[in-house]
Amino acid sequence: MDRSQPAVVVEDIHRSFGSLKAVDGVSFSIDHGRVVGFVGANGAGKTTTMRIMATLDSPGSGRVCIGGHNVVHHPAKVRRLLGWMPDSFGTYEHMTVLEYLDFYARALGFKGADRLRRIQEVMDFTDLTPLADRMSNKMSKGQTQRLCLGRALLHDPQILILDEPAAGLDPKARVELKNLIRILAQEGKTILISSHILSELGEMCDSLLFIDKGRIVHHGDAESMVRGTETADETLVHVQIAGEPVRLIEWALTAPMIKIEEETKRGARLRIQSVDEATLAGVLRRMIQDGLPVLDYHREERRLEDAFIDMLGQIDKNTFKAPPPGGVLPKNTEDAK
Amino acid sequence: MNAAPAIMDFPDSLSPMVVKELRQGLRTRLFGGVLLTLHLMLVLLTLMSGGAENAAVVSGWFDGIITLVLCIIMPLRGFSAVADELKSGTLDMLALTRLSAGRIIFGKWAAIASQSLLLMLSILPYVVARFVFGGLDLFAEVMALFYKWLAGVVLAAVIVALSTQRQFWLRAVIVFLPLLIGGCGAASFMMMSRMGGGMPPGTLLSFFIKSGGGGSALLVLGIAAWAVFYFLSLAATRIAPTASLLSVVKRSVNLVAMLTLMLVGWLSGSSAAMGSTAVGVLSFLMMDALTERVNEVPSVYAAFYQRGWPGRAALWLLAPGWVTGLVYSALLVALVSVYVGWTSSVEGAKLVAVRAAGTWMIAALVQLFSTRRSSDLLMPFIVFWLLVNVLIALLGNLVLMSFVTKHTTARFTCALPQLLPTGYATAQAADKAELLDLGMLSASIWPALLLIFAVFAWRQARGARQEGWQMIHGHEGGVAI
Repeated sequence: MDRSQPAVVVEDIHRSFGSLKAVDGVSFSIDHGRVVGFVGANGAGKTTTMRIMATLDSPGSGRVCIGGHNVVHHPAKVRRLLGWMPDSFGTYEHMTVLEYLDFYARALGFKGADRLRRIQEVMDFTDLTPLADRMSNKMSKGQTQRLCLGRALLHDPQILILDEPAAGLDPKARVELKNLIRILAQEGKTILISSHILSELGEMCDSLLFIDKGRIVHHGDAESMVRGTETADETLVHVQIAGEPVRLIEWALTAPMIKIEEETKRGARLRIQSVDEATLAGVLRRMIQDGLPVLDYHREERRLEDAFIDMLGQIDKNTFKAPPPGGVLPKNTEDAK
Repeated sequence: MNAAPAIMDFPDSLSPMVVKELRQGLRTRLFGGVLLTLHLMLVLLTLMSGGAENAAVVSGWFDGIITLVLCIIMPLRGFSAVADELKSGTLDMLALTRLSAGRIIFGKWAAIASQSLLLMLSILPYVVARFVFGGLDLFAEVMALFYKWLAGVVLAAVIVALSTQRQFWLRAVIVFLPLLIGGCGAASFMMMSRMGGGMPPGTLLSFFIKSGGGGSALLVLGIAAWAVFYFLSLAATRIAPTASLLSVVKRSVNLVAMLTLMLVGWLSGSSAAMGSTAVGVLSFLMMDALTERVNEVPSVYAAFYQRGWPGRAALWLLAPGWVTGLVYSALLVALVSVYVGWTSSVEGAKLVAVRAAGTWMIAALVQLFSTRRSSDLLMPFIVFWLLVNVLIALLGNLVLMSFVTKHTTARFTCALPQLLPTGYATAQAADKAELLDLGMLSASIWPALLLIFAVFAWRQARGARQEGWQMIHGHEGGVAI
């Protein structure tokens, strides 16, 4: 694979189903060895984009290159580089885990001892060896999902596209999946992973791609996403005091640069008109100097989900003015500006 | 790392798809149940076949059970073969392996054919037993068993092809309605031959009976192989990626097979039989060519442009899509018409063209009513074909009967290509030529209409052809056709 070019290049792709524009000018690129989260609501165009990248669909216009190969012109070359895990775990009746992996290994061209060795490696990696003789359609969701990941890894692809791999999994299975993805990332694989669970993506991914109504609306890391939609000159802080919270409220009403956002059971959420850390520390110092028995004082971290929802709201109002994100700036983010 | 798993039940040389399907298929309750029930019944029948007085009844049951298993139950195992993969999303995963659409479909069919073969071989001892104890003609019985298996595997190819349709009800109608009609037809045909009517002259069956021996067996095998290829390639086209060039292989094979059929007819002096067979086959080949989606993938066209002017010429006939399919079907119609005209009569050739216009009519109706909603043209084609033919069979022929009883020519039949052949056959001798010319004139509306649609569809794919041209010749290389 040519490492001088990005692992994935998507340029201005469009795809419509009848009058519905599923993908409307999506552009982005992913460098080798990066783990990128693909985020968007249902129907936003994630799966269509991923299917085009996986050579399972063709763009109406635009260009997609995987490992330097155009997905439309050279689908066979792309498939050799690509591991695809769809959102539906496709297993078969009357087929054991071992037979399932054996079938796909045969279909991928593995022969004899080489095939058996590769199956064993994949089963060890995904911890499926104890389940080798279990019927593949009679396993838990977590086990089935590991089996499907194992199938996608059989030919040791350098680029992985995982469509909603965590959907419907219990917390334990999610942690296991996260661990597997972390190991794959450490091995230097390029991974594009879509999910609804933004906080998990934020932890796992180097950067995030946000798609809405078939258009990329943000491309950057989780922090830039949160910062990008945060109001730049204010900070929300949680304060708890010993005793009646009314003392805090009375104090806040007279304090400069502070507004009460919300009263809580043991204190309040205060909006301080500054993001400067020294100013925030000064507010706490003043509280203590004024005799308030402060038990807890901390900045409210914005969740990724909130940032995403805020951003979508801002886009709807055509007021989105995000700073250029990290990574490669998508073309239609510029349009959104 | 743990010890390597032991899984060596099938050799590497076997297609992965066949291995998968056999592993699954041999484990199903249906296969086990059929195998067990079949053998129980055959044991009973073999024990019963000792007495000469009930030999005919036992023989009938023996044949019936074997026919039911090999020609109905086993082929029907392919009913959901591809639909299940489509629904569960596993077909996408298969598409990303090295398995081509053709190999996937072939594997599905080959597994059914192999299981069927396994059943057939397990029946052989009973045939030998009946030969030993009942004095039957062993060779004839074994050949009959083989032909039943062959009919079953051809039917399996048809059903696997139809299993590419997702909707269960539509699939059920399309599979069971022809099965019912075919069953009734076969039953009435058997009754006719038992009552002394014999085989209708000028049919393929009459040719087999006339020629007898190895030649006809070879032809049966050849036609069965062609039918299997036709239906499997039809199915493969429906699941193949848009960038595939399956149409090149299948149209070439079909053209060569058609030419071979006509050549065999000419060389063996059975031109009438082969001509009527060619006319029957023509509708199927036209259906396949006229129901392919117009391809808008540049690399598909680039593959033709790469081969210079022969490639550019071949593009008009072999490139995927119904537009080139129209040109291809016109070539086939011309070939068969010339053959029939040369070996039979000019009227016969004109009737071939009218029948072909009936198929173009269905394709035009599909273009008129279906394409905006769906990219699938085959299923609407089959539905329209069934609707038009059932309606015509019911209404048209009823009306036609009143004309026949009055000994007058039913001139209205020239309005519909599907009715004209019957109208022509029952017309008064003096009116025949006029009716046929009128019918041809009226039927020409349909290819003309289809041609108009084709021009628009061809224009739509112009961008893809242009890009394909540039892939080979660069921006300075002129313009694509």
